[in-house]
Amino acid sequence: MPPLPLQSDWAFVVENLDLLIAGTGVTVALTVASILLGFLLGFPAGAIEVYGRGPLKRAVETAGVVLRGTPLLVIIILLFFGLSVSSSAFVTATIALGLRSAAYQSQIFRGALQSVDEGQLEAARAVGMGRFQAIRSVVVPQALRRSVPGFQNEFTIVLKDTSIAIVIGLGELLTVGQNLYQGGQSTAALEIFLTVSLIYFVLTFVTNRSLDRLDDRFSIPGGERA
Amino acid sequence: MSDPLLALDDVYKSYGEEQVLSGVSFEMDAGDVDVVIGPSGSGKSTMLRCVNRLTEIDSGDIYLDGDCVTDADTDVNELRKQVGMVFQDFNLFAHLTALGNVTLGLRKVRGMDKATARERGYEHLEQVGLSDQADSYPAELSGGQKQRVGIARALAMDPKLLLFDEPTSALDPELVGEVVEVMRDLAAEGITMLVVSHEMGFARSAASDIIFLDEGRIVEHGPPEQLFENPQAARTGEFLSRLETTHEGE
Repeated sequence: MPPLPLQSDWAFVVENLDLLIAGTGVTVALTVASILLGFLLGFPAGAIEVYGRGPLKRAVETAGVVLRGTPLLVIIILLFFGLSVSSSAFVTATIALGLRSAAYQSQIFRGALQSVDEGQLEAARAVGMGRFQAIRSVVVPQALRRSVPGFQNEFTIVLKDTSIAIVIGLGELLTVGQNLYQGGQSTAALEIFLTVSLIYFVLTFVTNRSLDRLDDRFSIPGGERA
Repeated sequence: MSDPLLALDDVYKSYGEEQVLSGVSFEMDAGDVDVVIGPSGSGKSTMLRCVNRLTEIDSGDIYLDGDCVTDADTDVNELRKQVGMVFQDFNLFAHLTALGNVTLGLRKVRGMDKATARERGYEHLEQVGLSDQADSYPAELSGGQKQRVGIARALAMDPKLLLFDEPTSALDPELVGEVVEVMRDLAAEGITMLVVSHEMGFARSAASDIIFLDEGRIVEHGPPEQLFENPQAARTGEFLSRLETTHEGE
């Protein structure tokens, strides 16, 4: 293997690092927006699955089953090219990733809410709290702590799956890499995609470590870890 | 004569086919300490839970301080403000400190501000001898300490009646004493207590009345001297002698 082109391929990556960093910024923004949307929809959905009844509960359960049963790639293509929910690729990707994440986050929260001993709710009711008040003040704080490990997992999955937005041309990290490879120095494929992989790894690693901190910080003294 | 503080009138309760309470009636006055005994499955805990409507009765009436609390239009949260409960498994709020456990109801139910609630909370922890553990979480406390916090939590709401559902059954034998001691103090202070327990020491020394429940019916109801020394029903005698042998040394 001739050493010179290899060197110049790495040099090409370094020269275009600003583009890759900009793509990383889009990836991070898309991850945060999607996780947030997923939380805002997924937490109430999980609570409805545990405490709700009737048509609302059935509707939420059905939506979850459909979303979890459809490939993310299909969801994002359907939303962008099929339904044209937004002309913005970022908004569309956020909706697709957010909905899919909501369907999974709802299950994390459902499990966490169900894992809180029934005696906790009973004791709160026995003091004279209403059902909603008791759930909010006693069950939810404990359930949120217990959902941190599952949430950590979900965060990593969403972060990596933002790369699927490449199919609708959003300028996130993988798309930037792909454009560099196709538009510039096609011999640098290995170097470009190794760099892209490394950036994804650093992002997930740092995120996981930070959430570990969160886990420690909010664990209940003397008790189970969150 | 004034109304009894608590009156059950012909209370029935079943779970599906299983009849748990079959026409239970009794009264207790303010300041009384009534201890309910009986074999497991006799309906003791169900009866207790019917009083604060954690369990709904099928028929009959329950009166608290003259008001029928089993009416359909009774506000259960209002009722529960007046009736404290201490659980067998403590059920302390796991995410809150001992003080947090005692003050949560004061703040969320009584609408007290944080500072006032803390002050009240400390007083009640003091009352059960645990003011030095105010900042400990339930998982950091022994079983006996947990149950004392449970008692403080119930007391803090200033209830007219305290219900105890087998408060010492989940405790290691060496930890029973500290909880019983607190209960004795409360009894001496004139707090009205309805206690499901087989702590015979407590029953003998603190009870105004013993209620012997079997198969959902009150078999015998009277002062401890009567039940222990001269039981009227053969079943009471049998049960008590069995209890003495199994609980020897307590």
